[in-house]
Amino acid sequence: MLTRRATRSGIPPLRQYLAESWRYRAFAVYWSRADVKARNFDTLFGRVWNVLNPLLFGVIYFVFVGIIAGGGLDQLDRFGFIVGNLYVWLFFNGTVTNGVGSIQSGAGGVLAQSAIPRVILPVASALSAASLFLRSLIAYVPIHFITGRGVHLEVVWLPLAFVATVMFGLGIALLLAVANVYLRDVSRLLPHLLRLWLYLSPVIWQFTRLESQGSEMVERLGRINPMYHAMVVWTVGFGGDLPGSDESVAASMLVFSVWAVGALLAGFLLFTSREDEFATRN
Amino acid sequence: MRPATDAIQIRDLSVSYSVVAERPNAGRRTSLVRSTERRLIHALNGVSFDVAAGQVMALIGGNGAGKSTLLKTIVGVLKPVGGQIDLYGRPHLLAPGMGFNRRLSGRENVVLGGLAGGMSLDEVREKQDQIIEFADIGGFIDMPTTTYSSGMFGRLAFAVATHIDTEILLIDEALSAGDAGFRERAVAKVQEMCRAAKTIVVVSHSSTMVAEMATHAVWLHQGQVRRTGELGDVAEEYAAFQAAGGETAQMDRSIADR
Repeated sequence: MLTRRATRSGIPPLRQYLAESWRYRAFAVYWSRADVKARNFDTLFGRVWNVLNPLLFGVIYFVFVGIIAGGGLDQLDRFGFIVGNLYVWLFFNGTVTNGVGSIQSGAGGVLAQSAIPRVILPVASALSAASLFLRSLIAYVPIHFITGRGVHLEVVWLPLAFVATVMFGLGIALLLAVANVYLRDVSRLLPHLLRLWLYLSPVIWQFTRLESQGSEMVERLGRINPMYHAMVVWTVGFGGDLPGSDESVAASMLVFSVWAVGALLAGFLLFTSREDEFATRN
Repeated sequence: MRPATDAIQIRDLSVSYSVVAERPNAGRRTSLVRSTERRLIHALNGVSFDVAAGQVMALIGGNGAGKSTLLKTIVGVLKPVGGQIDLYGRPHLLAPGMGFNRRLSGRENVVLGGLAGGMSLDEVREKQDQIIEFADIGGFIDMPTTTYSSGMFGRLAFAVATHIDTEILLIDEALSAGDAGFRERAVAKVQEMCRAAKTIVVVSHSSTMVAEMATHAVWLHQGQVRRTGELGDVAEEYAAFQAAGGETAQMDRSIADR
């Protein structure tokens, strides 16, 4: 027997909620596949854009850093560093942006007409972002070898960093999706906030630069940023150098993992405690 | 305690939700922030009735009476603020096109729509050919649905929605898709669903044919049950009420929340 009754807003019975979510797992996978497939469907290059787009971002930022910041355009190693890190950032960015958007769009009437556990939609968006990221690595692998990074042992950190990035991105997406239901301005602010976060994270610049400038405060603030630790692990995993002499990849992985678990837990609890209101507030 | 024959028991159900509305006289003011406010709508108030297993129940009432709200509460989209609904079976709201991605082909949307409707992957695979055959849109099935006419899209969406097995079927959408020939098959299909499902609740305007299958009716007026009983009696009383000009705009149940 199913019962619909008045209850105070709050977290639903978790076992029941997770079982119901599991029932819709195939929908999450197919919705995600459809999302990936539907992108760029009306363009000449089609799915190639999934690989080309982050690559072009990499080229633009390489030129930007080379010319504006005076890094020069002859440092192939820097190109590999920028492209690899940007792929990771676009992966995180996509998880957050699409996750928030999935609730706002209502996912083809799913939100307004069915009782599917709402968490399925941001999860499907995270799957899309992860799938696009893995595809974009097709372009990264040759760049990795051309820029002389070669084969190295640190690559073992990448699967862990991947899982933690999915969890952290999904957690942030769940938190912001709820905020956006109550205040639509969040979705307007989101691209700007993510762009700012990109520049505050060691994605296109080496963190050591700030340290060499002796800005201790910036360095300290930088380490509060969970994406600082994420990028340390990704950078090293891609064969780059540690940002600082006193850095430890294991420590950064631990810190980022704690952030990832915390964000996912907080996001999930807030999201599920509020999802009853999504249909009427959308 | 559940009587052996009931499929749905609704007791003292109240549902409220808030909507964003423009403030009165907003156009005359210049403001840096939005000129809207959130209003609380008391859509249902103290609604109680039972639907027996195997019964086809029609919901009757004017616009804004709370019929759609009631169906959405039964299916679980909206949450009661008071009272409760006990369901002895899984409900399904017939919602053509739910879960579709317009950029994908019809064939791919059959899978997406079926999964969104609660079918398992095996079920979707098993019924895919049947659904495609029912939609009868020829070679377009492998084309993106953006290339479809509205009639073709409606046929496909309807075909998917009506191939989902359920114990409690809720019908609110207008069931008019495609040409006259297809409409005939569509009504026959819904009638078949009605026979297969143990219980049906249908909003009276959805489909004359389906509503005609109803044996009992609930008349909702301004979010409250005005009358329940056999369809003929309730419909007759409702018609008399309408003729006397009793059906007025029913949005006066909202109050300013802030």
